[in-house]
Amino acid sequence: MPIRWKIVCGVLVLASFSLPAPQHLFAQAHDVDVAVVVQPDTPVSNLSLAEVRKIFLGDRQYWTANTPVVLLIRAPVARERDVVLKIIYQMSESQFKQYWIAKIFRAESVSAPKVVYSNDMASELVTALPGAIAFVDSRDVRPGTKVVRVDGRLPGEPGYPLR
Amino acid sequence: MFSRLLVVLAFLLAGCVLFAQSAPASAGQEPSNQALLDQIQQLQKRLTDMEEHQRRTDAALAALLGAQGVADKTVQASTPAAPASEEHSALQAGEHDHAQIREATIHYPSLQIRGFADVDFAATDQKGTTSGFDLGQFVLHFASPLSAKVSYFGELSFTAEPSTYDVSVERSLVRYDYNDYFKMSFGKYHTPIGYWNNTFHHGAWLQTTISRPEMVKFGGTFTPIHFVGLLAEGNIPSGGLGLAYSAGLGNGRSSILSKAGDSGDINDNRAWVASLFARPARLYGLQFGGSVYRDKLTPTPGRNFDEWIESAHLVWTKEHPEFLSEFSNVHHRDLQTLQTYNSQAFYIQLAYRLPWQENKWKPYYRFEYIHRPNFEPVWDINPTPSVEDLVGSTVGVRYDITNYAAFKGEYRNTRRGVNEPRVNGAFFQTAFTF
Repeated sequence: MPIRWKIVCGVLVLASFSLPAPQHLFAQAHDVDVAVVVQPDTPVSNLSLAEVRKIFLGDRQYWTANTPVVLLIRAPVARERDVVLKIIYQMSESQFKQYWIAKIFRAESVSAPKVVYSNDMASELVTALPGAIAFVDSRDVRPGTKVVRVDGRLPGEPGYPLR
Repeated sequence: MFSRLLVVLAFLLAGCVLFAQSAPASAGQEPSNQALLDQIQQLQKRLTDMEEHQRRTDAALAALLGAQGVADKTVQASTPAAPASEEHSALQAGEHDHAQIREATIHYPSLQIRGFADVDFAATDQKGTTSGFDLGQFVLHFASPLSAKVSYFGELSFTAEPSTYDVSVERSLVRYDYNDYFKMSFGKYHTPIGYWNNTFHHGAWLQTTISRPEMVKFGGTFTPIHFVGLLAEGNIPSGGLGLAYSAGLGNGRSSILSKAGDSGDINDNRAWVASLFARPARLYGLQFGGSVYRDKLTPTPGRNFDEWIESAHLVWTKEHPEFLSEFSNVHHRDLQTLQTYNSQAFYIQLAYRLPWQENKWKPYYRFEYIHRPNFEPVWDINPTPSVEDLVGSTVGVRYDITNYAAFKGEYRNTRRGVNEPRVNGAFFQTAFTF
């Protein structure tokens, strides 16, 4: 490529940086639904929001007598975690930590939700661990996982509560 | 040609800059810097996810190509390095996945230990008392799943005494889970009477206030704090009502009323306890319930009393606001004289997590009350009565220094006994978990 065209491209790239930020793209990211995913073998396909809350609060610990629930939650900063803390737990980050410390040492649960660092990791663990349940960005749902309806609705449907 | 193009581009660039600077500054639509930073963080996170996804897809493709490469090695001997490195990265990705799964899988036993401690300062205007610091309780909690359905929990406390430390096994129990509806534990646990005793164990950091209510205080005798025996518990299928139960059978109180029968029962009668509570799904945060406890007491050889305790609680566990209330009636019947005695106690505690400064401040108020008959042979078995009339108010504030440490300060005004003067006190505590 001639040098002049390289300069032209460079100038155009620089110019593009000075354009205003595309706010509508950020707004869209905030509106994406968060899907509840489980292993396809898990005997559940529809849960009410209250049931999801009961599961994630550790008050329901078994799918069946032989299949314990394994909770997976994204690490802090992830949007999926923010949605879960805000809608499911209705707690701040510190309240969430305090809740699980107290829960474990009240002998009500043996462990806190396991932390996953990406939607991919969440999907992989849901596929690999029997009884695992996780929240992932609905755009990142992978084959090999089952999306659970919440209050009878799937992500993307009107009235879906986890957004 | 080139110079003209440069001029056009310069205009274009200037136009873009001007356009960017003159973007409408509508206050309603402009996100704050913090919001933009948050969005950038989220985008960074998403980018990381996408990169990770891409990396794995590449690795999988590389693995396929690598496999083909192995098959065709004899033919394509001129390019052996690329398939080898791709195979290596695929193996690394696979190992990474396995490591994640291994890490997420519970291994048995898997002991978790958490410590709690507090440092306190107390000053009151009660005659004969001195102000000063004390070390509170140093507590270690243990939790260890032994298999998918069996777990162990323990609690050890070290309490400073004038010449030594009192070491006590506060809880030690093994639990077998059948399912959500039936879990059975054996050992020593906090008696499931009321709310506080079963919710806030040793470790002052766990509770909002500095001290426990008098009716459930450690070392107190109003209600039996510990219980040695077996306990069945679980959920009751009840839809949105969220019912749960616990039922226990054990030794009951020892001859020292504040202690459980750790080393054996004091008589041949077992104590039992049953409790039922509800956490309605529609009112997340609400819990209410009741419990009944039955025991035969033998505080001194030859003197026996029947004991019945009825308790009820109503709590709102969210912190905006937090509301805790509990009532207990303790009924004793002297088996020699058949006379009966009833003592009542309750507390109401209100707290509110303030929304400012990252929700660190939590002011609270508690009113508590105990009433006992003038003569009560169980409470008065020793020269110093173990339960006294009490009217008290506590007002204070909790400040969470970090997620794991808090500072509390409170003022208490209490009157113990009949016609006794009120006592005012200032109390401070730093409580933490580690």
